[in-house]
Amino acid sequence: MFRLALKSVRHNPKRLILTAFAVALGVSLVAATQVFTNALSSGFSDLFEDIYSGSDVIVEAAPTTDDEAGDPFAAAEGIFTPEEVEEIAAVDGVEIAGGGLQVDGSVLASGYADAGATDSLSGGPPSQIFNWVGDPRIDQATLIDGRGIESQGEIVLDLDAAPALGYELGDEVAIATLDGVSTFELVGTIRFGDSNNLQGATLAFIEDADAHDLAGDPNYSSVSVVAEEGQDLDRLASDISGVIPEGTRAITGEDKAAEQTEELNDVLQYVDIFAIAFGLIALFVGAYIIVNTFRIIVTQRTREFGLMRAIGVTGKQIRRMILLEAVVIAFIASTLGIIMGYLLALAFSWLVSLFAGDIFGTLTLPLDAVLWSYGLGTAVTLIAAIMPAIHASRIAPMEALRESATSGKKPLKVRNIVGAAMFLVGAGVVTLGLYADFERPYIYVGVGAVTLVIGATLLSAQILSPLAGAMRPALWKWFRVDGKLAANNIQREPRRSSNTAAALMIGVMLLALVATFTESLKTVVTEEFSSTRADAFATSTQGAMPYGAIDVIESVDGVALTSSIGFSQAEYDGVAYSVAVLEPETASEVVEYQSDPSVDDLGSGEAYIDPTIVDLGVEVGDEITLTAGENDITLEVAGTLAREGEGNFWIDFATGEDLLGEVSIVQTLVVYDDSVVADDADNADSATTVTEQTELVQEALAEDYPLVFLAQPGQLEQLANTFIDLLLGVISALLGSALVIALLGVANTLLLSVTERTREIGLLRAVGLKKSSVWRMITVESMVMAVFGTVMGMVLGVALGSALVLSLADFGFDGVTIPWVWLIVYTVAAAIAGVLAAVWPAWRASRLNILAAIAADG
Amino acid sequence: MTTTTVSAPAATMRDGYKDYGSGEAAVRALDGINVSMARGEFTAIMGPSGSGKSTLLHTLAGLDNLSAGSSTIADTVITDLSEAQITEVRRKYIGFVFQSFNLIPSLSAKENITLPLDISGTKVDPAWFDEIIGILGLKDRLTHLPAELSGGQQQRVAVARALVARPEIIFADEPSGNLDSKSGSELLAFMQRAVKEFGQTIVMVTHDPTAASYADRILFLEDGKIVDEMREPTADRVLDRMKQMGH
Repeated sequence: MFRLALKSVRHNPKRLILTAFAVALGVSLVAATQVFTNALSSGFSDLFEDIYSGSDVIVEAAPTTDDEAGDPFAAAEGIFTPEEVEEIAAVDGVEIAGGGLQVDGSVLASGYADAGATDSLSGGPPSQIFNWVGDPRIDQATLIDGRGIESQGEIVLDLDAAPALGYELGDEVAIATLDGVSTFELVGTIRFGDSNNLQGATLAFIEDADAHDLAGDPNYSSVSVVAEEGQDLDRLASDISGVIPEGTRAITGEDKAAEQTEELNDVLQYVDIFAIAFGLIALFVGAYIIVNTFRIIVTQRTREFGLMRAIGVTGKQIRRMILLEAVVIAFIASTLGIIMGYLLALAFSWLVSLFAGDIFGTLTLPLDAVLWSYGLGTAVTLIAAIMPAIHASRIAPMEALRESATSGKKPLKVRNIVGAAMFLVGAGVVTLGLYADFERPYIYVGVGAVTLVIGATLLSAQILSPLAGAMRPALWKWFRVDGKLAANNIQREPRRSSNTAAALMIGVMLLALVATFTESLKTVVTEEFSSTRADAFATSTQGAMPYGAIDVIESVDGVALTSSIGFSQAEYDGVAYSVAVLEPETASEVVEYQSDPSVDDLGSGEAYIDPTIVDLGVEVGDEITLTAGENDITLEVAGTLAREGEGNFWIDFATGEDLLGEVSIVQTLVVYDDSVVADDADNADSATTVTEQTELVQEALAEDYPLVFLAQPGQLEQLANTFIDLLLGVISALLGSALVIALLGVANTLLLSVTERTREIGLLRAVGLKKSSVWRMITVESMVMAVFGTVMGMVLGVALGSALVLSLADFGFDGVTIPWVWLIVYTVAAAIAGVLAAVWPAWRASRLNILAAIAADG
Repeated sequence: MTTTTVSAPAATMRDGYKDYGSGEAAVRALDGINVSMARGEFTAIMGPSGSGKSTLLHTLAGLDNLSAGSSTIADTVITDLSEAQITEVRRKYIGFVFQSFNLIPSLSAKENITLPLDISGTKVDPAWFDEIIGILGLKDRLTHLPAELSGGQQQRVAVARALVARPEIIFADEPSGNLDSKSGSELLAFMQRAVKEFGQTIVMVTHDPTAASYADRILFLEDGKIVDEMREPTADRVLDRMKQMGH
């Protein structure tokens, strides 16, 4: 039986090419993702090894459970006093112990103050500024040029950063921190690790005392230990544990690197899941093509199967044979997919490394990727082949004797009932998933959506068939006989046509869904920014807004007032929530907050709560306790907020300082004095415009706070919209593979039906239909299916997207914005794609030898 | 019936050769054919299997190319024409009736009949259309799809399609080959009538002596050569002639 299946595949490989390719494309996405994240992981794991390999033991704050995998490059708070570092150094077996301290700041490019900095709203790559210990094993730095740091006021940079930022030895290097700009003399350049593999960041070292000054911290955040030779590092680590303060730990460098790699892998796993989801979508679409291909092949081979049945082959054996064929295809396709995926990852990592430097380890093919690829590829192909296989196994021996393989005109009734049921059940499950409080809502939404889509596919045959009939007069008018024949062809095989269109429908549906969501999001953003009375938003490109910068802004003539907002986290009832810190005196001057009572009334010791907290049963007048670190404060709930998404708790700055210590400011909203500053639109000659005023403020900041940027609401809105568009772009690109597969499906179906209609086409050519007309007939057929699939997809996508937006009303989504522009773009693109998908089939059809075609075994 | 010999023939072939394959495996299907199909005449081409009768029909009709020699349709030499031009000639001057699978399954009988006119964008002459379907007895069958028609009806629709554009010449390849004898003779009688009453030119390939006897003239083919010609045939005479050829 296997030999028969293999022979059948070998005998007619052409009809399976596109099918295999569709599977391969989906598989390649899965494989590429895994190769890619694997390389990323090994790249970072190399980096972590570089970072920690010099130190035999590292002493640092013990990780707390609620401190989730944070940014591994962020500066940590100082917890080790210089004396404690000495104590560690005194432990037996320790050769040298160096306290490490990172400064929150940014190394500025040479001539930063003159550069048109206002345009760069997003900062450059981050800077890593450390204290210089002087031991290359601890600093992980090899001196390349110049000398090491000997006294205060000196700095060394990594060898790539110095030229990139425009500095030479002896230059004054500027560092911006929360307190302003400090300058240091560049005395040397260093190489980090073996290859200065810094993932694009700038590495700088300054003198120990300077680092403490800039960080505003007399302590060290970690201690790196180099052991004397021949020491058992694990024992040394446990020895050191004996002398260090509570809440800290000693860990070997090797373990630390492994730990960091593991943490990163946890993050990468989400990337994997995200990308594999798109791979699965692509495979799901591919499944439609497989169903179609096998269905058509079974029809075409009806006589063959009938003959087999007549000579005694059982239905079960025929079923097994077709499934074996599916396995053969799946194996070939998956292999191809793995190769394609590897090449895709190779190409993509090369592209990324052009922009981000060499951040990848060697690209290898992980075993996981191979197993997943074969597993998914085979599973999808087999599942898709089951229905056609069952169908084939039911072919009666009598069929062998039939004159031609006309497919029975089975009514669509059963299909419609099943389709409608699945559609309704799917819609119901999606609704449940969205609104009911289930443990894992996404499972309900996912399963529901798949059911709904299959239901819609089944139902679409009922729509497409009469639609093609209805379009006949129009197609006849536009394309004469070619158009009519195209409509007939679609109508003749409603199942096949609608399956083909449905493959496209899925991709377009997801696109339309995302477009609807992002378009609505943009409306929200626009409303948000147009509701503000602030003339400018001030933010820092690195970390929090410095308090000093706010003073500078307020001191500029023409600035009426500023209002700052900070965000942080605090625990309530053991769960972490977001806390917004506001200035009640000015907050309502800059933003129309929706709260009851007004934000003006928020006093010290009071808190406003958002709907999330209200849902917990907290009411106005209740006393609540918030915890942050070691601070507890008890507040009275004095008001409620209308929306979610702007912080669960609102408190004022005085309360914020009690709770959080220093409040780190996310942004400062600036309002100009109306008597001095005119709206840009007013264009009063004498007055300063908002743009000019913003430039004035920016200039005032340039000297000491070059990292603080002012943006007008319009600019920010644009920036936000750019990000939203980018999101849409990324998702569209990931859905691209599903769309390509869907188009392959259209091409595949047409190709197979051209084979099926060989005699018919031969006849048409014999009675005088020109090659170009044959081409046009196939193209029209393709376009109708493509546009139909697209329109169906858009209707479903916009509907689902609207449902999603409406369900997020709590987050400020006021209404659905339908992305008309995108919908038009999709429709035009679908028509063009239809033309493209028809190229191969039309070429084949128009080149058919008339005599051979007429004589073909039909 | 008065035959006019003044007008030019509907189709001709001069020194027609057709080879399939090359070298050792080469087969000569047509071996120096000189033939002329007079207007308004019903010609049957007969011969044993492999005699090249189908090849002769196909090359005459421009469905296949000659290896050497030339052929004309309506005074146009088609041998040197491009594929597109030959298609044009077929559409303008030629009608076809094949043994089976003559009709587009998705088109109704009427649509199948008017297909050549639809393709060329010509208007249907309603009187002529009614006359044809009247003669062929297809009035009640016009809205039916091919699958809903009997074999005889399907072939009659094919003949109607061939006639509707009043082509210069109709080529028929075993038109009654798949029909029972009653339907077959009905069909051949219609074709004969089309020649006699409307002056239609028809060339038909067949191996059935009875079918051939409906023709005005029979060409006998053997090994790619025309070996004999018979006028005013009857079934018995044809049968005798075939027996001589080793049938």
